[in-house]
Amino acid sequence: MTDFMQQRTLYIDTRRCMGCRACETVCKLENDLPAGPRFTMVTEVETGEGTEERLNFLPMPCQHCGDAPCVRACPTGALFKREDGIVLSEQERCIGCHECLWACPFGIPQFGSNGLMQKCTMCFNRIDEGGEPACAHNCPAEAILCDTVENVSRILRERYAKDANRMGGYADKLD
Amino acid sequence: METYNPIPWRKHENLDKYAWKKNVPVWIGGKKVIADRVVKTCCPHNCYDTCGELVYVKDEKVIKIEGDPEHPITRGHLCLKGFANVQKINSPDRVKYPLLRTGKRGEGKFKRITWDEALDWMVDKIRSIQAEYGPEAIIEYCYSGNREHMAKSVAGRLWNLMGASKLVGSFCLLSGVAGSVGTVGSQFTMDPEYWAENCETLFLVGRNCTATNPHIFPFLYKAKERGAKIVVVDPYATGVAGKADIHLRPRPGTDGAMALGMIHWILKQGLEDKEFIAEKTVGIEELRELVEPWTPEYTEEVTTIPKAQLIETAELLAKTETMFETGYGQQRYSNGHQVQQALACLAAVCGSFGKKSANYDCISGMAFPGITGFADGAAVSVPKRAKIPPARMINIAAIARAIHEAKEPPIRGVISYRGGLISQQPDVDYTIEAVKKLDMFVTIEQFMTDDTDYADLVLPGCHYLEQYGVHPSYWHNYNQILVPVVQPPYECVPDIEIFEELGRRLGYGRYFPKKRTGLDYCRMLIGKECDFDSMVSPNGPARNPEKWCPEVPYQSFDTPSGKFEFHSSVLEERGKKYPGHYDPLPRYYEPDESVAATPELAEKYPLNIISQHPSFRTHSQYYNLPWIREIEGPARVFMSRKDAKDRGIADGDRVRIFNDRGELENIVARVGIRLKPGVVEMSSGMWVKLGGSVNKLTKLVPAGPRDILAEDGILYDYNPLLDGNTGSYFNTLVEIRKMEDKKEAEQ
Repeated sequence: MTDFMQQRTLYIDTRRCMGCRACETVCKLENDLPAGPRFTMVTEVETGEGTEERLNFLPMPCQHCGDAPCVRACPTGALFKREDGIVLSEQERCIGCHECLWACPFGIPQFGSNGLMQKCTMCFNRIDEGGEPACAHNCPAEAILCDTVENVSRILRERYAKDANRMGGYADKLD
Repeated sequence: METYNPIPWRKHENLDKYAWKKNVPVWIGGKKVIADRVVKTCCPHNCYDTCGELVYVKDEKVIKIEGDPEHPITRGHLCLKGFANVQKINSPDRVKYPLLRTGKRGEGKFKRITWDEALDWMVDKIRSIQAEYGPEAIIEYCYSGNREHMAKSVAGRLWNLMGASKLVGSFCLLSGVAGSVGTVGSQFTMDPEYWAENCETLFLVGRNCTATNPHIFPFLYKAKERGAKIVVVDPYATGVAGKADIHLRPRPGTDGAMALGMIHWILKQGLEDKEFIAEKTVGIEELRELVEPWTPEYTEEVTTIPKAQLIETAELLAKTETMFETGYGQQRYSNGHQVQQALACLAAVCGSFGKKSANYDCISGMAFPGITGFADGAAVSVPKRAKIPPARMINIAAIARAIHEAKEPPIRGVISYRGGLISQQPDVDYTIEAVKKLDMFVTIEQFMTDDTDYADLVLPGCHYLEQYGVHPSYWHNYNQILVPVVQPPYECVPDIEIFEELGRRLGYGRYFPKKRTGLDYCRMLIGKECDFDSMVSPNGPARNPEKWCPEVPYQSFDTPSGKFEFHSSVLEERGKKYPGHYDPLPRYYEPDESVAATPELAEKYPLNIISQHPSFRTHSQYYNLPWIREIEGPARVFMSRKDAKDRGIADGDRVRIFNDRGELENIVARVGIRLKPGVVEMSSGMWVKLGGSVNKLTKLVPAGPRDILAEDGILYDYNPLLDGNTGSYFNTLVEIRKMEDKKEAEQ
């Protein structure tokens, strides 16, 4: 069993995502995808009441789950998890049975015109060269992080520690 | 297979000279491809950000685009449209050769002709219109589809030589500019890193940053993480409002009233910046008198903003160092100039001018480089030694009216480029009737749009990545010259070369030397004012000089008094010359059409529809691309739960939206919290022929201060910075019903 904290993850800071959807087209371009398969999709969530009504956003790329249900569900072994945690599909072995879609809690598997499963690859080819996924690289809100679980957790804790706003900020000085 | 004719007069340059890098490996679809060159350019699509771009080219095709990481503001990030440019420029649906109309106007039937035939046709038409009606019977139509300024100047050179009518004005922001110039004087913006590091409150009005200014967010988050408060004013629960500590949601068109209410409270509590007001302003006593009735209670009554929220915000703005970042949404009402005038006064009362921690941004003068003098427009548009006859002006905010009403002479020919006349002007049906009256309607287009359907002649235009341009941002202060990254495909021709060749064939050959390139014209425009070469790929971007873009603007004011003017002397003077709402004080009045201004109409049409600029499009552009259509989905109208319930509408129902001007059918209702009861929203720019154009419902009533409708949009003197004009798209009343209700009624 691989060390969970060393698994790579795509973390999206929903406090920063502001719904511009640039991740959706940069992903299309990077993966040379036509309309049809969507490797990431920004969902819009309305919350709150009265003066607290807010529009929030949740981009949904593949979660590259620790114990990925799609990998377990795939009858041909087309889906597999790399040592670093990235879940990939091998189209040559895919038979288009949609078992992975049934298994996935997030509706991630996509099926293009050839009927075979495709999905977010975490841009592993860019990662293998020391880069980051196209969506993380481009995000105008700098909301997408791609790193090991351990590092993402550290970055988030550091951000939180530095975030003066959680203490209330200048407005507290008013009274 | 289709073949394309050579165009001997189309310029051909070796574009390798603009390569920032050559033979660059790049990933596409999981495969490594070697791009022949990577070129730096910028996006001219009329947005605050004017992103720096790196464009990858292989075999003279754009294969990939990335943000330019060397751009200090956009920092290597692009929006969704930036990437969709690859799909756009390579689209099989591009207009590939000249097309001459064969069917009726609006039918969309055309035949392919050659460039020679097209230009001969144009020359014949222009000459016959000129002979019958005079040179002023012809006018261009051009706006911000590609907002760079160089090609417009080159076209202006031709119009000047021809003695054509001059297109002036705006239909998106000059009302706000007039209100701002009237009080503040010349317009500047401060680099965002200063307020990100120093402000205590960020006050954003009428700006849906997600769609129109996404690169503000890292700066906004920087400020927020330091502890700054974010206040957003918008009737819609936008993405940026979701990040705000306080979200104020005025009834549409009442932001000016909100500002007066805040000023009232600040003055009453003695929270104003007394030192700033004493030293750097004039007219505070008149303002004090003006805001006297604007108690929190009365302001709540007009704006619907809860009194407590209004007071909390007013005190926050006055007690902390507040950065005012005002957008343009709040001024797309007939009272738009007053709104911005009032907001500027609010900023002055708070002392938010001239400081790194607290300043006021409306628009940078770089939005109008020819007016500020940064760009020497006349160097291009007024050729030396040519006799340029004086010509009447037509205001773009009332162009349909002018086409309908102009008599001496009438408008008989329109040459249109870089703008969607039919989809973007208010009151679509009225615009179409105007277009049908023309003897000549020529469009330079990349795709078959609403406009091309009504055109006599469609000329294959170029994507911005295929031509030169100058587009300084109106928000940040960095400049990158647009250079062609690829050769024009098919029989497409860069805009300036169309005007040059037309000019030659009209007998003005000596004014359009064949050796001059777009880069030469760009240099003629701004070369004297900046280190031009430092802005041309492989170089750039470079900051515009301090003279034009001071790092911390508004240390002083260049108004007649040399101070910030609560009582605007220039607006007062201008008002003595022209009809309109020239008020030296930011006196509030209701928008032209609203529940308060037109209660009888509101009985019939009780919903105020506003139309945002969405992330998906630059106005009507990009709407036809598969990537964009897939993300955006069908045309939607957002409404409150109450308004939906009152009409028996459920989320996802198909509805029709209508008023006396028009009707839209089969729009998907989205019910939720994004709007307060009484307000609905449908994004602008969807195409008329695809059934989702909100401008079928909007009214042609330009915002002030000048009342250009009184002059039918035909002007002989015009000051864009004081006369204003903006399409008041958002003061539109409608009613919404379920589609089934109509079917039942018909049965």
